[in-house]
Amino acid sequence: MVLEATMICIDNSEWMRNGDYSPSRFQSQADAINLICGAKTQSNPENTVGVLTMAGKGVRVLVTPTSDLGKILACLHGLDIGCEMNLTAGIQVAQLALKHRQNKKQKQRIIVFAGSPIKYEKKTLEAIGRKLKKNSVALDVVDFGESDDGKAEKLETLVASVNNNDNSHIVHVSPGPNALSDVLISTPIFSGDGEGGSGFAAAAAAASAGGVSGFDFGVDPNLDPELALALRISMEEERARQEAAAKKAAEEAAKVETGGEQASSSHDTTMSEAVNTSAVIADDKRQNLTDDEASLLEQALAMSMDGAKSSSVDTIDADMSDATAEDPELAYALKMSVQESAGDSSTHSGMNKVLEDQSFVSSVLNSLPGVDPNDPSLKDFLASLQDQSETQQKQKEDSPEKDGDK
Amino acid sequence: MASVVSSAIPRGQVDLVDFVDWSGVECLNQTTSHPLANALKQGYRDDDGLHLESDADQQLLIYVPFAQVIKLHSAVITGPEEEGPNTVKLFANKEHMGFSNVNDYPPSDSLNISLDNLKGMPVTLKYVKFQNVRSLTIFIEDNQADGDVTKVQKIALFGTTVDTTNMKDLKKIEEH
Repeated sequence: MVLEATMICIDNSEWMRNGDYSPSRFQSQADAINLICGAKTQSNPENTVGVLTMAGKGVRVLVTPTSDLGKILACLHGLDIGCEMNLTAGIQVAQLALKHRQNKKQKQRIIVFAGSPIKYEKKTLEAIGRKLKKNSVALDVVDFGESDDGKAEKLETLVASVNNNDNSHIVHVSPGPNALSDVLISTPIFSGDGEGGSGFAAAAAAASAGGVSGFDFGVDPNLDPELALALRISMEEERARQEAAAKKAAEEAAKVETGGEQASSSHDTTMSEAVNTSAVIADDKRQNLTDDEASLLEQALAMSMDGAKSSSVDTIDADMSDATAEDPELAYALKMSVQESAGDSSTHSGMNKVLEDQSFVSSVLNSLPGVDPNDPSLKDFLASLQDQSETQQKQKEDSPEKDGDK
Repeated sequence: MASVVSSAIPRGQVDLVDFVDWSGVECLNQTTSHPLANALKQGYRDDDGLHLESDADQQLLIYVPFAQVIKLHSAVITGPEEEGPNTVKLFANKEHMGFSNVNDYPPSDSLNISLDNLKGMPVTLKYVKFQNVRSLTIFIEDNQADGDVTKVQKIALFGTTVDTTNMKDLKKIEEH
């Protein structure tokens, strides 16, 4: 909400005919100026904006600083393109126009659009910059269009010599799909040194971008904040859930792998997972699940684990019904696993139980490249460890076996 | 500072710092870290650690409006020996001057600050020219050493107020 008088210096030289900024450099410049004028007048009703052209027959002030937006926009029509831009004269005339502003309390600012090459020396530009700083005039430069070597540097030194406490900025815009005005909206030139104007900028972004891009979920937070908030929260929840599920699956795979490795290498009995795993391997041979069924099972069980945390049992049921249609044995195993995991409150105990579930772990082991259930050392280890959880496993074994025998 | 000549206020004159309209005070070409308040405000100006410093070059343009009309008698301008001001031009009742038009008008008074002045000796002004002053513009053109930076320790103005109507004293005449 800085009280400011701004003079905008337009580059209407021959270089503006180029079409590398669509539709033409001059047109994109005009759009950007329209937006800036609007932003300035909106951020503070007492702000004034004036416009002058630097090329053509000579530097010409189109409108002296005024707060009447209509007048400013009207004078932007019917501008001719021609000749070369005179940067130094343009800045000096802008300074003079600002000096004679009506409200002396306004801070002075000049915005220069520099699209054509700069023919002045760095020293000249530095002197101009220092003069601006001495008279406490801030300067913003939009470097677009031509970019011969030295232009960017020269403009940087110019802005650096004017800069007093970060009040002056320079923006380099290279040709591309984005319109000049879109690029400028996010710069401090628009937001006025970080204060105010951002509300207008957001609305302008919506207008220019068609209201879809730039906003998640296609809803403008300005228009419907509650809906936007609700959509955002539900998206975040879903994402968190999926991440947790993915993390769990990764953890399990890692645990099972380490369990398998340790069993084959060092008879480590401290890992309960390893115990369950080895006991299950024996069962695996009995059940003889194929790979297709195993992957399906795995998927269903992963979903069922989600169900343990966030009560979305519906998805599990849907998946399970698909599997059930194919294989009654599979259906029973799935049902068992769901029953086990559904009752859990803590994820860790839920995970343990699922690991205990033979079918799941066996399928995981099948998919693991390094573990071969028929490995003799593994078989020995299984025999020695089978006692520990055999009672529990036996109960499970009996029912599926009965089904299997059918 | 033992070498400071005690700034005895000239007889009958008053330190005009109380009559300064602080909302309109402006200074061009000052550094943000060393602003005008360091030289002008009561308390700050006597603090040796605080001074007014110029930024881009050695010139300073100070605009001081007053809350009421005053007559200006003398001024005290102190600063360091090397970087203290040398040529100082005063303009009465000229609003919003800039560096570009500062040489367009003849000054109400033009001072050459000596080293004694820099130590605290008051400079007597052309009293005749400052009889009806609403605002004062102080233009510091260069400094003692002709360097790039001018430093001012203190600016004090002395004079008297012109008797003006105190609106609060006006009372409505009772109708009989």
